[in-house]
Amino acid sequence: MVDTTKNTLVYTTWGRKTAKPVNPNVAAKMISKAKRPLLVIGTEVVGNEQLTEKAIAIAKKGLPVAATGHSITVFKGMDVNAKYINVHALAHYLGDKNWKGLDGQDTYDMIVFLGHKKYYLDQVLSGLKNFTDLKTIAIERHFMQNATLSFGNLKPEVHIEALNEFIENL
Amino acid sequence: MSKISTGHFSIEDLENVQITIGKIVGAIEEKVAEEGDMGPTPKPSVSSLRDWDYQLLSRYQPVYTPVCDQCCYCTFGKCDLGGNKEGACGINLAAQQSREFLLRVITGAAAHSGHGRHLLHYLIERHGRDHPIDVGPSNLLAPNVQMVTGIKPKTLGDLEAAIEYVEEQLTQLLATIHVGQEGAAMDFESKAMHGGMLDHVGMEISDLAQISCLGMPKSDPEAPLAEIGMGCIDATKPMLLVIGHNVAGVANMIDYMHENDLSDKIELGGLCCTAIDTVRYQMDKGGKPYAKVVGSLAKELKMIRSGIPDVIVVDEQCVRADVLDEAKRLSIPVITTNEKIMYGLRNRSKDKADSIIEDLASGKEDGALILDLNLLGEVAPRLVLKVAPLRKEKGIKAFPTDEELIALAASCVQCGACEFVCPNDLGIMAAMKACAEGDLTKFEILHDYCIACGRCDQECPKDIPVLNVIEKASQKVISQEKGMMRSGRGQISDPEIRQEGVNLVMGTTPGIIALVGCSNYPAGTKDLYTLAEEMLKRHYIVVSSGCSAMDLGMYKDEEGKTLYERYPAKFLGGNLINVGSCVSNAHITGTAIKVAAIFAQRNITGNYEEIADYVMNRIGAVGVAWGAYSQKASSIATGCNRLGIPVVVGPHGSKYRRALIGKPYEEEHWKLYDARNGETLPIPASPEFLLTTAETIEELMPMLAKNCIRPSDNNMGRMIKLTHYIELSQKYLGQMPEDWHNFVRTETDLPLAKREELLKILEKDHGWEIDWKRKKILSGPKMKSDVSAQPTNLKRLCKGEC
Repeated sequence: MVDTTKNTLVYTTWGRKTAKPVNPNVAAKMISKAKRPLLVIGTEVVGNEQLTEKAIAIAKKGLPVAATGHSITVFKGMDVNAKYINVHALAHYLGDKNWKGLDGQDTYDMIVFLGHKKYYLDQVLSGLKNFTDLKTIAIERHFMQNATLSFGNLKPEVHIEALNEFIENL
Repeated sequence: MSKISTGHFSIEDLENVQITIGKIVGAIEEKVAEEGDMGPTPKPSVSSLRDWDYQLLSRYQPVYTPVCDQCCYCTFGKCDLGGNKEGACGINLAAQQSREFLLRVITGAAAHSGHGRHLLHYLIERHGRDHPIDVGPSNLLAPNVQMVTGIKPKTLGDLEAAIEYVEEQLTQLLATIHVGQEGAAMDFESKAMHGGMLDHVGMEISDLAQISCLGMPKSDPEAPLAEIGMGCIDATKPMLLVIGHNVAGVANMIDYMHENDLSDKIELGGLCCTAIDTVRYQMDKGGKPYAKVVGSLAKELKMIRSGIPDVIVVDEQCVRADVLDEAKRLSIPVITTNEKIMYGLRNRSKDKADSIIEDLASGKEDGALILDLNLLGEVAPRLVLKVAPLRKEKGIKAFPTDEELIALAASCVQCGACEFVCPNDLGIMAAMKACAEGDLTKFEILHDYCIACGRCDQECPKDIPVLNVIEKASQKVISQEKGMMRSGRGQISDPEIRQEGVNLVMGTTPGIIALVGCSNYPAGTKDLYTLAEEMLKRHYIVVSSGCSAMDLGMYKDEEGKTLYERYPAKFLGGNLINVGSCVSNAHITGTAIKVAAIFAQRNITGNYEEIADYVMNRIGAVGVAWGAYSQKASSIATGCNRLGIPVVVGPHGSKYRRALIGKPYEEEHWKLYDARNGETLPIPASPEFLLTTAETIEELMPMLAKNCIRPSDNNMGRMIKLTHYIELSQKYLGQMPEDWHNFVRTETDLPLAKREELLKILEKDHGWEIDWKRKKILSGPKMKSDVSAQPTNLKRLCKGEC
């Protein structure tokens, strides 16, 4: 079992409320219990075969995908429920209880992030942390302190191992 | 009662007495009032345009992404405002973030207007208050100044009243930052808009003054090309490096070098906007710029660390705080020339040139503060000639040798500390490993992505000078960094507006893409080139300025030509324009104002709200500050926003703390009035935002095409814009955009080549009714096509309302 909770060194300080480090199996169980989870995939997956493969595998478990940047290109023909949206706009809409989601059905209660630039995602998460009630989980390679739950800082190979375990438990 | 005017007067009975009247308080305003075209808001106060701001902020809501959840402004705190809690003074996190944003905006505006004040003061001293403003073949000389203040300046002296207004308003805005005052985020937002608007007035004053007095190109599409890139610097000559934004001192150095036949003996290179303005200096009659442009801010530490400069002269803005320390290590004397940067150096402004040169060349002092720009003009060139042979003699070593490079890379323990602090998360560990094995290619790629902040150096537990390693390993690619940049041409002239205004308003020229700002790119400089080339091929007008204008000139096609050599610089679709330095950004908003004034014959004098309303609904322009890093970038963008021009920043721009984003799914926000009759007019959700971020240029390009769509587009214009939106989405996102149908009003809006295919989709997926015999849309669109509609946000402009 991969321990993804050890290294929680922060990139820069943000505030007092900091993400709880989480292990892959726990993160997966939390998501499985959510009513309307959303997987947000960033452009760092493009050109990274292993990360792309994991993103597709998670999506195939039935999570709808908000594909930000140009990450939508990796989902073409992969039979997953992915839609393009700008991540900044997404963060704005997520805070709006009247937004009906990417599928026009309802808003979301748990947001999972993978494949983002850490400095960019930390800003997005900062907005969600401070101005919404949403639960956010970062399964990134870096500790994202503004998420509700986050993996710690991981080496690339450990990160892939953690994602495998996450997928198994989803 | 008779009126007095400016000028010189003698009094008959008093011998040897002459009275000079330089300025009459209120005279300019009185003259404008006499002309009878003063709009409702000359010299607006902090609250004058609040209603307009609130209209914008109701559609484009602030999205806050705090950099810090705490407030540490006063001794009540620190207060944790996390979760939008209130602090001890009562302010909540949203209001605190908007206050922080306001502070950034007015800091940026103050930097530009402080620059403008310095230049104006200096140039008036040299040329006199009556020196005419001469910016090219235009009657509308100062669109921002005239629209905001109501002043129609003709001389340098006239600009003083405008800069005084800016300074007074900035003081009022700064006062509102103080604890215990504003509590509403929306009012901080409105104040930020005010600061952004002031910024464009301050920038315009700066550039009008320098264009008029320093012989810079005047609306000249044929402005000469200048060499750019670290590779174009001739390191065999003594090298004088100038850094910053204020060209006044460098102009004196160039004059001294010409007058003393030193031009061929000294290599003059510049970084950042001082470089841009140095290659504009005395270029209004053509010729070849004497100076070379090293590059943008991202090259600053790289150039200093190269050890090539023999003397460094800094002025103001975007200059690293550690220039003196870095230069000292390589025995490079530093001269500071502006009160904004003095580095603790001794003020030598009243000393003799010989004594300063002696002290600096001998190393007795590391540098000098010289505020007398005439003295600077003499000292800097002479000092370079004296220092260069001494440094050569000393054998100053900047970078490690080839053997040392391999050894340094091999000493890396792969701990990842450098990568952890790297703002762009660069793969330094893998590059170190490859370098230790003699493979430099990873570092060569990384060199372009590296913004040379030097944070990696600070973190390395093995004390590896990481940046030096990157630069040493990349010497081959650096030597090939040789490009061409068109010197800043200044304003868009009135005749150019007459020619192109109609195409812009109707949409047949699909839009203006303004590539502005700094070099804090997420993925290297090449992105900007790729973006510009794509939009130029698609016949957009690409306007650039500052560091972006530089980086566009760094790449060549297969035939060895840069974009500036391939695309002309007129104000027409498919043209690439460099307006100039950072302060020249005012010409971009100025262009939009000119379209309203010249093409639409709107009165712009003191008439901000009406002109902003016009620009927002009719001119498809989007600003892109892909590498925005500074406070100035936030003030420039906010000034554009108040005028109705949306701006996209790169992902680092999320650190500005707030965006302004609309919700296309809320239909009530996407309605205007038709000024002909006051009826409600549904409009497309474009621009969708006033300020937002994009993750990559692949995402950015379709965003730009979409956000150039405006309610005033005629069918041909809408068809062209929609074609680009669809094609760019397909090319870069691999799919049709989901919302393309929302921009269709009639079948003639559809791209010609795909009309039938798209009609089928509209029928099948969206339930629109199609008459297939005539290939016409019978029902479905939410808005109708009416080219004579007069879209406006302002009820007061509707017929029968005033």
